[in-house]
Amino acid sequence: MITLAYSYLMLDLVSFRYIFGIPPLILVLLPAASSDCDIEGRKGNEYEKVLMISINRLDNVIEIGSNCPTNESNFLKKHSCDDNKEAMFLYRAARKLKQFLKMNISEDFNLHLLIVSEGTLKLLNCTGKVKERKAPSQGEGQPIKNLEENKLLKEQKKWNDLCFLRRLLEKMKTCWNKILRGAKDP
Amino acid sequence: MTILGTAFGMAFYLLHSVSGESGYAQNDFKRTHLFASLKLQICSSPGDLEDAEPDDYSFSCYSQLEVNGSQHSLTCALDDPDVNSTNLEFEICGALLEVNCLNLNKLQDMYFIRTKKFLLIGDSEICVKLGQKSITCKIMNIVKIVKPEPPFDLRVVYREGANDFLVTFNTSHLKKIYVKDLLHDVAYRQEKNENNWMNVNLSSTKLALLQRKLQSGAMYEVKVRSIPDGNYFEGYWSAWSPSYHFRTPETNGTGKMDPVLQTVSILSFFSVALLVILTCVLWKKRIKPIVWPNLPDHKKTLEQLCKKPKKNLNVSFNPESFLDCQIHKVDGIQARDEVENFLQGTFPPPLEESEKQKLVGGVQGTSWPSEHAVLTPETFRGDSPLRCLPGNVRACNIHELPSSRSPNCRDDGKNWSRVYQGLLLSPGTTNGALLPPFPFQSEIVTLNPVPQGQPILTSLGSSQEEAYVTMSSFSKISEL
Repeated sequence: MITLAYSYLMLDLVSFRYIFGIPPLILVLLPAASSDCDIEGRKGNEYEKVLMISINRLDNVIEIGSNCPTNESNFLKKHSCDDNKEAMFLYRAARKLKQFLKMNISEDFNLHLLIVSEGTLKLLNCTGKVKERKAPSQGEGQPIKNLEENKLLKEQKKWNDLCFLRRLLEKMKTCWNKILRGAKDP
Repeated sequence: MTILGTAFGMAFYLLHSVSGESGYAQNDFKRTHLFASLKLQICSSPGDLEDAEPDDYSFSCYSQLEVNGSQHSLTCALDDPDVNSTNLEFEICGALLEVNCLNLNKLQDMYFIRTKKFLLIGDSEICVKLGQKSITCKIMNIVKIVKPEPPFDLRVVYREGANDFLVTFNTSHLKKIYVKDLLHDVAYRQEKNENNWMNVNLSSTKLALLQRKLQSGAMYEVKVRSIPDGNYFEGYWSAWSPSYHFRTPETNGTGKMDPVLQTVSILSFFSVALLVILTCVLWKKRIKPIVWPNLPDHKKTLEQLCKKPKKNLNVSFNPESFLDCQIHKVDGIQARDEVENFLQGTFPPPLEESEKQKLVGGVQGTSWPSEHAVLTPETFRGDSPLRCLPGNVRACNIHELPSSRSPNCRDDGKNWSRVYQGLLLSPGTTNGALLPPFPFQSEIVTLNPVPQGQPILTSLGSSQEEAYVTMSSFSKISEL
């Protein structure tokens, strides 16, 4: 009886492992392997008539010249507009744009930033949720020395953010052109 | 109401079936049921409520992008103006920035909103709400219901050089960033033709109307409207622009010529006419000799030298008809030496006319000795036969000149004197040799009708001095 009960217990444990172990693993791995975005604006009208206009407006607002650092940001190192990954890249980039609303540069700036972000997400029509890694905050653990240094750091950060924004918008334009070119040349 | 009544009836029947055993309850129930059925009948009788149709809350909307800076507008209105719009609201949801829905504001019979929060990508849902309840909804795309602003500053300018009317207008969409490309509709008509509008579609803001396609001296009216070109942005025609009125110029039947051109054409005509007249007048005398000069003709020249015979010319070989003429017979020909001596004494070069006349007269009047040969210029003519010396004359050819000569001997003598003088003074005689009036010893001048231009003296004998009559001297003579 005891042996029988033990065998049953072991069987249950094995079943338990297979039932409760592997599927969650599969569920976790699936979003990273598959893309749930369906690009609707492949004809290019929405991009040319709305998104591109707003991207150009943002470029005009970002007047930082060509003094941006040449090294690529971490975000762009991790995400790129590779083949069959264009939609995912645009999806992540569009969500990233919303973080720049906090800069609060101007009302017109925020308006066009939202148009690019929301418009891209609308056209991509992604069904699955993509987990975004929370970007490590820089300088949270560092104590603020004085007001002047704080101000300088803020300026430096703003400048870095604008450089990153401009770089991000360029990548988005390139990726959209790649999508539209692929749609024209089957 | 019918359904409600039926429901009540069924409920009463059920109650009756459940509590049908009680007597007094039955009577009461029957009475109540009757009343309810009566009520139902009253309610279900034909009346206003049953035939009343539900309110038509259909509506239509249009959008205007960048109507005020970067702000867009959305305007909606109910299709049926008689609908009681009290407490009605319009709401738009979807395709908005930062928000899910927006409420439209009511302005008299219309509902509108002015906002920057239109995404311009994707569909929106516009609903008519009564309180919190949506009565009717429509799915619309803001970029597909765009109504442009009407054009303005419409003008018409007449271009005389191009003979057309240039229609120009302006539109606020030229400065917008979204709806920039529009299609324009220019409509024009003659004012007396009320409904005969002519339409022209164009994408630019300039139009040329040809003058020949319009009636002259008429008043015209022109107006223009716009619509999105259909490339992503679509919608409705805008309102018409304010009309512009213009009058086409009057044109004459033959057309008004430029005064400068008119003057030039008149002057040219008269110049050509004058040229033609002058050509006709001066053709024979001046132009033709230069263009088609006459070749020298000896016969004609000879004829010119001699006068034309009179009409009553009497040509005859009958000596009796020459009785009026003095005939000088040549008795003989004197020897040459004597003649030369005679000449040296009596004929100094050059001969004068008077002396020559004397000589001629002398020759005529006096009678020379028979040994002397006298040959006057008259004798060259042949009107009088030559006097030949019987002794010394070897040959004596007497040829009469053509009948064109007149029997008037004296008149022709002058001509011959001139001829003789011309011969004396000709360049051929530069060596100083003078042509003697008398023939030399052995020869007698023969008179032959020669062509014009050739020398009359065909041979001068073997004398030492020979005179050459050149063509040039002869042409000089012909000019005389």
